[in-house]
Amino acid sequence: MIRLEQATKFARTKGIKKPIINGASLVLQRGKSIGLLGRNGAGKSTLLRLIAGTIRLDSGRIIREGKISWPLGFQGSFQGTMTGEQNVRFVARIYGVDTRELIAYVEDFADLGPFFKAPVGTYSSGMKARLAFGLSMGVNFDYYLVDEITAVGDANFKKKCQVVFESRLQDSDVIMVSHSTATIRDYCDCGVVMENGKLTYYDDVEDAIRAHDGNMKER
Amino acid sequence: MKWKRFGSKPGGYVWALLDPAAHVFMLTIIFQAIARAPALGVSFPLFFATGYIGFQFYQAMATYLNGAVKANRSLLSYPSVAPIDTIVARYFLQLGTTATVGAVVLGAIIVWMRMPPELTWPAIIEAAFLASVLGLGMALVNNVMFVKYPLYEQIFSIVNRPLFMISGVFFLPDAIPHPYREIVLFNPLVHVVMQFRVGFYSEYRAAGLDMPYVYTFAFLTLFVGMMLFTSSSALLRNE
Repeated sequence: MIRLEQATKFARTKGIKKPIINGASLVLQRGKSIGLLGRNGAGKSTLLRLIAGTIRLDSGRIIREGKISWPLGFQGSFQGTMTGEQNVRFVARIYGVDTRELIAYVEDFADLGPFFKAPVGTYSSGMKARLAFGLSMGVNFDYYLVDEITAVGDANFKKKCQVVFESRLQDSDVIMVSHSTATIRDYCDCGVVMENGKLTYYDDVEDAIRAHDGNMKER
Repeated sequence: MKWKRFGSKPGGYVWALLDPAAHVFMLTIIFQAIARAPALGVSFPLFFATGYIGFQFYQAMATYLNGAVKANRSLLSYPSVAPIDTIVARYFLQLGTTATVGAVVLGAIIVWMRMPPELTWPAIIEAAFLASVLGLGMALVNNVMFVKYPLYEQIFSIVNRPLFMISGVFFLPDAIPHPYREIVLFNPLVHVVMQFRVGFYSEYRAAGLDMPYVYTFAFLTLFVGMMLFTSSSALLRNE
């Protein structure tokens, strides 16, 4: 379970201070996958980072129960001068999983061939996404935080992701940001719509998509 | 990440060794041409190497640490990785690197000397440690300030560049006349280099050496750096 209590977070850029989350309270139950919807700049990625714990709230608190992944985005959590393999080894160590096992799993899943032993800085965005996705799937989390990552990669890779992801979703949940309503529909049971610093929870993902579409039409 | 110290250049880690060796060699060639004996002892290479390596415990540390957070920013997307981790990891890697390089370069010079000096290890270790703490403190300040004020980065690099010249690497502050000597001695690195040389030259009297001053300076910088770094954690992560 993840619970937000009176959560407030401001975005600060060049002296402009704007609340992205304004006193929001929300309970995300275990066993349900959640789609996060909202317009560009609504703060969806920020919310994922808050849930992951990489950034902190300005006020309020987040209570987390269960193992939560880092936010999986295509901008990447990789150190560009380290090879794919070294990045995997790093993650294995900080999450305390078996290094050799994880490397074998990711090498097989990401299918990068000799590039697995080349610096990540030389990768294309599709290659990075493959590495990131394979890496997170190799570690067991209760919640996977996914930020648009399924949008990258070719049809073959997407299919592969779907198969692994679906088997993982048997006992894990996903909190997903995507601009593709089709993707949200595929993976999520319920939805949260972010608009003007407010978080609205919908038990049915279809209702969330409808509310989001309504927001988009307004302006 | 942190261990990719010289990763992008051909030859890799070997450069960590070649660079100071070449510096000492160049200084030896130049000064042998203009002076008959070094300011201390009889060996030019030993004189410059003790100065250069002692100085490097600060300079290489500060340079490498200044970019620690920036170079590893992507790793901060893992919740368990904090900005300070990048600093700590680089600190130990650089300390080990400079110590190894120092041992190899100075060891090679001493082996070739007809009358090897008697080493005073406490002085050597004390100087190296304090230099590294100075570098660490400065870098903690700089990692925050470079992000906050880009102009400061420019100013810092201008001020930092002649540091090598004024830190007593190729001269002894003992020999400088009265009013200027006191000015030179304001630079804590001068004391660090002096103390480092004390460890190699048992006859060196090191007039003006003030270790309490270096301790105060180093740990004050470290304290200020830690305060600034800790209070700016949001800035370091968000960007």
